[in-house]
Parts: sequence; C-alpha cells; structure tokens
Amino acid sequence: MVSAQKGQVRVITGNATGAYGAMLCRPDVIAAYPITPQSEIAEQLAQFKADGVIDSEFVEVEGENSAMNVVLAASVAGGRVFTATSSYGLVFMYDALQETSGFRAPVVMVNANRETPGIHAVSSGQQDMISARDAGWVQIITENDQEILDQIIMAYMLAEDNDILLPVMVNYDGFYLSYLAEAVEIYQIEDVDKFLAPLKKQSPRQKLVPGVSQGCGTHGMEMGYVEARYKHTQAMERVKNKVDEIDKKFGDYFGRYYGGQIEEYRTDDADIIIIASGSATGTARTVIDAKREQGIKVGLIKLRLFRPFPAERLIQALKGKKAIGVIDRSICFGWKYGPICMELKVLTQELGSVPILSYIDGLANLDITIPHIGRVVDEVNEAAKGKPYQDVTWIPMEE
Amino acid sequence: MVIKHKNIFKTQSAWSNADEKMLCLDTGSWRTSRPVLDKDKCNYCGLCALFCPPQCMNDMGDHYEANLDFCKGCGICANECPRKAITMVPEGEFTDG
Repeated sequence: MVSAQKGQVRVITGNATGAYGAMLCRPDVIAAYPITPQSEIAEQLAQFKADGVIDSEFVEVEGENSAMNVVLAASVAGGRVFTATSSYGLVFMYDALQETSGFRAPVVMVNANRETPGIHAVSSGQQDMISARDAGWVQIITENDQEILDQIIMAYMLAEDNDILLPVMVNYDGFYLSYLAEAVEIYQIEDVDKFLAPLKKQSPRQKLVPGVSQGCGTHGMEMGYVEARYKHTQAMERVKNKVDEIDKKFGDYFGRYYGGQIEEYRTDDADIIIIASGSATGTARTVIDAKREQGIKVGLIKLRLFRPFPAERLIQALKGKKAIGVIDRSICFGWKYGPICMELKVLTQELGSVPILSYIDGLANLDITIPHIGRVVDEVNEAAKGKPYQDVTWIPMEE
Repeated sequence: MVIKHKNIFKTQSAWSNADEKMLCLDTGSWRTSRPVLDKDKCNYCGLCALFCPPQCMNDMGDHYEANLDFCKGCGICANECPRKAITMVPEGEFTDG
C-alpha cells in the first residue's frame, strides 16, 4: 500500500476530532446521548447527518444505556457502529458495556475521560474508564487531537479484525482535549476507505438475519459460559500484538506512528522511567528533556493500551531500570496505589526488586504541572540511589 | 495448559442456532411438569408457539408440540391456549422424564 494523500489541516477541538474520526470510517449506525464533556461529538455528528456529509443511521436515544444497546444490536446485525460518552454516561451503560463485549460486538466508542459519581465532579480524570476496566473492552488512551482521529481509525481496524472481534474504547482527557483546539490533519475519506479495506476481505462475521432462528449471547451457562469467557480472554491477549501491527501499518500509510501499546521516549539509555498517560505525557516530555540536560538519565513511557495491560512490552522496556515512577490520574479503591501503578506491580517478579513509586495527580481538573513531574523525576532518581522513598504520594495533598 | 474441552460454539461469540441446537445446554432437564396436548381441542392457532419463552414449540403441520429437550415446563403455553387444549402434567407421571 502506497502512502496516503495529504489531508486537510483544520484547527478543531478534540470532540470535533472524534466526530471527524467517526465520519471518516463511515459507520452504518450512530447512537449517542449528550453528556459533558462529550456532547459536541454527538452534536457534530448530527450536523454531519443534517448536512448530508454522512449517510449513517443516526438514532436519537433517551439515554446512554439505550445508546449502547442500539449500537450493540446494530453491530450484531453486521453494521459498523459508533457512539461516544463520558463519566455518568459510561456508568449508566455499565450492563450494556458488558453485553457488548460478551457478544464480541466490534463497537467503537469514544470516551471523554471525566470523574465519576459520588462527588459530583464535572471535571477531568480517568476514573470513568478505570472503573470500567473489567468490562471486557479494549481501552486505549490518547494524548492529543490528532491521536484521537488516528486512533479511531485504528480502533475499527482492531475491533473488526476476525482475530479480535472486541469493542474498543478510545479515551482522551475530557475538558483538556475535549475543548482544546489543535491543528488536525483530516485524511481524505477515500484513503481511510483504502486503509480499512482489508476488513472487507475477511470472511463475513456471523450476524443476525431476518428469518433465521439464531441468537447471540443467550444461554451461555456452564461450559458455554466458560468457553465464551476463555475465548474472550484469549482474544484480549491477541489484541496486544495486533495493536503494534496496526500502528505500523497506519504509520506506513498515513505517516504517523504512536508506538502501539506503549510509546517509549528516551528510554534506551535511561536509568529511571516515568510512566504517564493521556494529555499529561506532553508535559512529561518537556520535563524529561530538562532533566536530561541536568544529567539525570530519565526516560518516559506513555501508556496507550490499558486493557489489555501491555505487560510484555513494559517488561521489555523496564527491565534493568533502577526505579520507576507512575503518575495516575485516577484512584483505586482497595489499594493505596494508583490503578496503573497497581497493575504494574503485578510485574514485580519480572522486574526484580526495583522501587515503584505511585503518584496520584491531576484529579478533578487539577493540572499535572511541570513542577509536579519534575518532583516525581527527582524523587524517583533518589529512590534509584537506594534512598528511602514514599510509596504513594497524592501530589495535590502535599501542596 | 492442555485444553480437553470440545468447543460448543463454532464462532468466537456465543451464537446459537435454533434450526440445529437452539441452546447450548439442555434446559429440558429443569422441567417438573410437561405440556400435554389434546389434539381434538387444538385448532392450530399457534398462540402457544408465539408465547413460548424459549421458542421451543415445533410446528407439526396441524398442531404444535413442545421440544422436550428444551421445554422448561413453565406452563405459559397451557395458560395462553384459548381452547384449554394443553395440560401441564407432572414429570413423575412419565417414565421417559
């Protein structure tokens, strides 16, 4: 496949990018319900429909639970589908989320990360997606507007692959990226068609057909249930390499590479590593560069794939490092560490007795600032020298 | 890990086909009573088949008969039959149950 033509560069918000990303993939059915900070996606897609830019069926639903059930049904009927949500919306579709993954329906959904119920926070944070981590979805975290667009295209390539057949949630920091306007290259739709064309060459997936008596997801008791769950977890394992493969193909064609499961920045000769995700990784790169100039051999890992957890890639990148700092934009009820840190600690056997420092920052719209990440680098650097360190630090609570 | 399990589903997801085997397990074993039809009363209206929750009433051409591999014995067909042609009979009265 030769490379794509140049796209049109427009300055648009993360939300609008989400809508453009969906539009480029020509979904058959779209169903979405407005919720801050995602509403603009649903509005923009409705505008596309009104203007005749898309010929998708646009279903106006009465809530997020219906939105997910509509796209699930349309997906099981063989369609390509899209929806978007955030926070309370994601919580409201919780049962439907599990139905969707259990049906192995290749739904693509954008989730604008926002704090979740309990304390009524209309603010950014990854708690919504983190709380849905066991819903059986693939979860990918993006850093900027361009990556949102690119990841939506890659998400269809992943979800609809016959080796995978899993729903994919494309996440980005709500309020930060949702309303941030950046220059985004919007590819020619014909090029996106070409990129996604291999999906059509696969044998068609089983679908509901009028007049044929069949069911999906019904009555999976005893060994039927066990078998379906086993296949689901095996497919999750296959996602990891597939994400890397698709990233390579996407980069070769459109010219942008994201590293697949994780992006490594100055990690090769690094002694210590900082792990971050989402929009904060841009800030982190700036800090890494500054600290490098001070002589600290620090590298950065941007976690892109959260579910399935990219264990093998992380082990490869972290092996032999002297200390690791993990910045989480969410919390974990039941463990004192942040969720990404907690998951990383599962790899302790492979990584050896390396200090892993957990940092909670950026909750509820608080910025993960340059001084914050600078502090993390300094403390992790001290821990690498064998000095005593604090296990978990809630950065805003110490200011 | 050595897998001894023989796959029930041909596909990745749990698809079932009513024309072959409707469900992936034999729900007939749950039954404590079964629908027995009085053919003289039946006028082949099809309401029993329409209301049957697991859709296990087989069309026999001039009447309907429950597929006992899947009939859970809920009795909805007997309840819905306008001519009271279906009676729920306890499984204990049958030797094949």
